[in-house]
Amino acid sequence: MPNEARGAAPAVALALSLLMNCALSAASPGPSAGERLYQRGQLPSGEPVQALRQGGATVRGADAACVNCHRRSGLGSSEGKITIPPVAGPYLFTPRGKSLERLGVPFVDTARINHEAYTEESLARAIRDGVDGKGRLLNSLMPRYAIDEATMSSLIEYLKDLKTAPAPGATSTVLHFATIITPDADPVKRRGVLAVMNQYFVDKNNAAARTKAPTLYSSHATMFRVERRWQLHVWELTGAPRTWETQLRAHLAAEPVFAVISGLGGSDWGPVERFCEEQGLPCLFPNVEAPVGDDATFYTVYFSRGVLLEAQLIAREVAGAGGGGRVVQVFRAGDVGEAAARALEAARAGSGQQVVNHALKAHGPPQELARALREAGAADALVLWLRPADLGALEHLKVPTPRVWISGEMGGLERAPLPPDWRTQARMAYPVDLPGQRVVRVDYALSWFRMRKVPLLAEPVQADTYLALGLMSETLNHMADAFVRDYLIERIEMALDHRVLTGYYPRLSLAPGQRFASKGGYIVRFTDPQGSRVTPLGEWITP
Amino acid sequence: MGRRILGRLGAALTCATGVLLAVATAASVSRATVNYQTPAVTLVRADGQRVSLPHELDDGRPVLLNFIFTTCSSICPLTSRTLEEFQDKLGPEAARVHLMSISIDPEQDTPSRLAEYARKFHAGPGWQYYTGTLAASLAAQRAFDVYRGEKMSHTPVTLMRAAPGKPWLRIEGFVTPDELVDDYRNLLTAP
Repeated sequence: MPNEARGAAPAVALALSLLMNCALSAASPGPSAGERLYQRGQLPSGEPVQALRQGGATVRGADAACVNCHRRSGLGSSEGKITIPPVAGPYLFTPRGKSLERLGVPFVDTARINHEAYTEESLARAIRDGVDGKGRLLNSLMPRYAIDEATMSSLIEYLKDLKTAPAPGATSTVLHFATIITPDADPVKRRGVLAVMNQYFVDKNNAAARTKAPTLYSSHATMFRVERRWQLHVWELTGAPRTWETQLRAHLAAEPVFAVISGLGGSDWGPVERFCEEQGLPCLFPNVEAPVGDDATFYTVYFSRGVLLEAQLIAREVAGAGGGGRVVQVFRAGDVGEAAARALEAARAGSGQQVVNHALKAHGPPQELARALREAGAADALVLWLRPADLGALEHLKVPTPRVWISGEMGGLERAPLPPDWRTQARMAYPVDLPGQRVVRVDYALSWFRMRKVPLLAEPVQADTYLALGLMSETLNHMADAFVRDYLIERIEMALDHRVLTGYYPRLSLAPGQRFASKGGYIVRFTDPQGSRVTPLGEWITP
Repeated sequence: MGRRILGRLGAALTCATGVLLAVATAASVSRATVNYQTPAVTLVRADGQRVSLPHELDDGRPVLLNFIFTTCSSICPLTSRTLEEFQDKLGPEAARVHLMSISIDPEQDTPSRLAEYARKFHAGPGWQYYTGTLAASLAAQRAFDVYRGEKMSHTPVTLMRAAPGKPWLRIEGFVTPDELVDDYRNLLTAP
């Protein structure tokens, strides 16, 4: 989906971006006319394409782009009772009687069978007039496009070029996956995540080995293997974030993988996300507390917005609580609380309320907290973006205001070591389902950890990792042998709504233009002066 | 699960596999007259107001109701465009019929996202969008028999009612703007 232009850019920035665009276009020819039409609904002139639907409704530009229905992979989709067929070349042009699998073209469940193949002429007629090779009307969803010969040829070339061959990393016997760990990732969580992943891969391969008939032989020579061995490559990054993209490109060149699964980040996941988008590499459900992306990315998919979601939840509370006073935020420099504090400040912009941010030194002593808290007056809202060590250090400090919020994601949810005086006052952003409601779903993962002797080191990220792997496995089953990276993302989008075991989250849902599967959270408070019982202060909120 | 995939693969492999661009079927639209019990749920309108569904439905005007979600890429853009053209065709009369679109993906479709979607389809003053809790949206979907398990399984349904207390006309399929105007006029003149 193309972004709408947002306001006028300052002249300098505009000039710079024009220069950069010129430099870029000199370096690469840019997308073809066919690709621009397919992906954005744009004609070579830059004008939006016009199309007509049965019954006269018109559709134009991005709304008329082929990608909306046939998807980025060109392998089709389905919605309700409507199946939208693949349009990648082989599915259109393979003559009747020739089998696709013999040509190495994967089976997709949206493909039509028993139809005459298109010629370039009959395909052009289908696109312009909405009739198939035999003159029958196409489905009313399929618009009729007013495009000239040259654009039509370019579009047909683009369809012929859409990849159906297995992506790098998907061989006939092995599926290669990577997981990415940044150097600023928490070392305990790192051990926990890798313990789950390694065991899952062992289990997966043991199960495949035990299955007597993992292969399916067709009537022809080509062999389809539904079960391939899974191999994990752990890409541990080192050094400064600005060097990570180069490191990742080197990893990918040395160890081509089909997709990146789970992994663990610290405060900056930006370089990893940029790498995945640039390489067209699915990067599924990393454990990242402050995701950088927005819904406009394609290849990176997260379970939740993490602390950025918490910032929205708390901003809503602060706004709703009324009263005067400022918002005083405390966080450690370099930790994800910094991004959260910025997000909350942005959410309060325009409200007239003053926001004061107090950054503690990175890795500094907890004693600094006392000075930061003196900042907050009795009428202020105090927001603490702090880890367990800092929360524990609040013990001898007076609660300066009855309006205190803490981050559940950073503080350890209901296990946050908040001292008793603070527990009676503080409210916690809680971006997962309540303990009592998620117990059955999470127990599924915990039992598996126990049976497999996976050490329980950091329950939430380990449960999320297990969930990510389960989703990958399930989605691959639906994909049969169509190892196309774009298609993996599209199938994950489709599969997620069906998922019953959703771990820490009440439900998960994605769609084109949705990259965060769980959308909301609770505000809770501790029920008792001790223990880990929490009480929700209201319903699940989707800010 | 594995067996089903194998079965499907097998079926596909044994067939000749020439392939076509899209289903070669003409649009089929069906109509039925149905009574529905409106659930007393609270929804959130795109302007941020919390409103009662029965109250919104029973504001005295004829009402046209459908269910959408803003990231739906195939069905909803077409049905929303149809309602846009329906409003255009009615001209000044458009404000006298209440168009209501309820999100079936309410957690994603915040009031501001719905307002943006409404602008995209040039929704006139008579056309409002609604979100709310998942439970409220589900109750509305179930009451009007459009709930199909999850958002990607939804089907195009347009519901129309001449006045509070009257039965609903249920239109299934991709109705055209002209047909919709005819349906609307017929409904108003029906005894």
